[in-house]
Amino acid sequence: MSALLEIRQLVTAYGKIEALKGVTLDVEQGSITCLLGPNGAGKTTLMMTVAGILRPKSGSIRLAGEEITGRPPHAIVAGGIALVPENRLVFPNMSVLENLQAGAYQRRDREIEADIGKLFERFPRLKERSGQNAGTLSGGEQQMLAVARALMSRPKLLLMDEPSLGLAPLVVEEIFRIIVQLHQDGVSIFLVEQNAHMALKVAQHFYLMEQGKVTFSGTPGALAEDEVIRRAYLGSAKA
Amino acid sequence: MIFDLIQNTFDGLAMGASYALLAVGFTLVFGVLRRVNLSYGPAIMIGCYAATWVSLSFHSNVFALLGITILGSVLAGTYVERLCFAPHRQGSAIAAMVASFALWMQFEEAVTLVMPKHLYDFPPMFDGDPLAFGPLSLRAEALVMLSCALAICFALHRMLYRSRFGLAVRAVIDAPLAAQLAGINVPRVLLLVFLLASGIGGLAGWLIASTHTQVTPMLGMWSTLKGLLAMMIGGLGSLPGAVIGGLALGVLEAHSQWFLGPQARDLIAYLLMFVLLAWWPRWMTTQSAS
Repeated sequence: MSALLEIRQLVTAYGKIEALKGVTLDVEQGSITCLLGPNGAGKTTLMMTVAGILRPKSGSIRLAGEEITGRPPHAIVAGGIALVPENRLVFPNMSVLENLQAGAYQRRDREIEADIGKLFERFPRLKERSGQNAGTLSGGEQQMLAVARALMSRPKLLLMDEPSLGLAPLVVEEIFRIIVQLHQDGVSIFLVEQNAHMALKVAQHFYLMEQGKVTFSGTPGALAEDEVIRRAYLGSAKA
Repeated sequence: MIFDLIQNTFDGLAMGASYALLAVGFTLVFGVLRRVNLSYGPAIMIGCYAATWVSLSFHSNVFALLGITILGSVLAGTYVERLCFAPHRQGSAIAAMVASFALWMQFEEAVTLVMPKHLYDFPPMFDGDPLAFGPLSLRAEALVMLSCALAICFALHRMLYRSRFGLAVRAVIDAPLAAQLAGINVPRVLLLVFLLASGIGGLAGWLIASTHTQVTPMLGMWSTLKGLLAMMIGGLGSLPGAVIGGLALGVLEAHSQWFLGPQARDLIAYLLMFVLLAWWPRWMTTQSAS
């Protein structure tokens, strides 16, 4: 049984500088997998490469066994991967509703309206603000909109790049509640997160990336046992 | 005196309508790509020359020539997009602009090689006298031009706010990276916008050539300058602004020609642009593309 997302020996470079130096990892079907790592480790580069925004120099990315390396971003979305980017990146001068419609741009089916209705049930605050420009929403609301927009493409795999960045603790908890709900609904999630405390509560598998390489792979238990990681990412000695 | 003023304003609006159409095409490209396409006018000239060649070689009606002008402009526009804009999508705006200048020269050289006379006749849209309203007169072409400018502006607005493609265009304007992540084929949207602008340019070119009943190789430079000027007066990147800028430019030119003579006509227009740039530079940066 192969994993949903298989990344093998992935190298992505900016000019001559390699940001990813041969990354290999798996995201299992139906899991929440979390990628930890310091700033500049290459986490966002990895997400952008999987989403097709950056072209890798070498290596392979497979989704459900199918090779998707080097495909353009719109084809990746059509193939079933949606990225909620760092800093949310909603369409600020378009309404909340139009943001969601844009997220379904690849789809031609008749269930788009119904899906918008379901997302409005899940995110009542977006419904209240459906006619409002996305730029006027609070940070937390924009994050929910970015997640909802990504879900509009009906992804098999949802990539999330630091969804808690810059949000107040209560809002972060809400975002993580949403992540858990999505997971219970069967969405596989690959999450980049600096907030290891929150991530430990939800993820089933962890990777640690440093300087463009995966340096740790294991369960939450193993992560919490690791003295070095605990000091660096959990910020305290074992209780 | 008062009739002169009104007549001048009419003439100015008629001329301004052609500037407005040129500016709408310019604005579409600038608003979406944030790039200035100097080859915009020369590509229109290619379309007009293609139609001139057809009308000299075969007997064809004016609407067939309209089709050929649009087709020629769109083909020339595709060539410009592929060579100047597609390769510089992420890169420098200056590189794209300078490349489009090189194609401008190429287009001018090409038409003077194939059709070396300085001036060719272009079939008029209508035969007959201008329409008279008491002491005032207005050419029928002017009415057609004005209605086309308004209709195209209205249609583009509807397209942007009511259609699936318009949603994609606005998404690309708003946040290009997010548009890619939402599954929008951004390079394709940009190409289509470019071709749409070229088509509108072709329509403008046909209206202008059949109003003036002539084409010269200068038509390219003329269209680029007038379109650019009208777009800037309209505030860079706003479609209604482009129409208003075009009409304002036409009226301003007509009045300065009447009061100050034909030499002052262009001088006043460039003076206005200078004043806008020097004293009110924010005018050029505050508008969004739609």
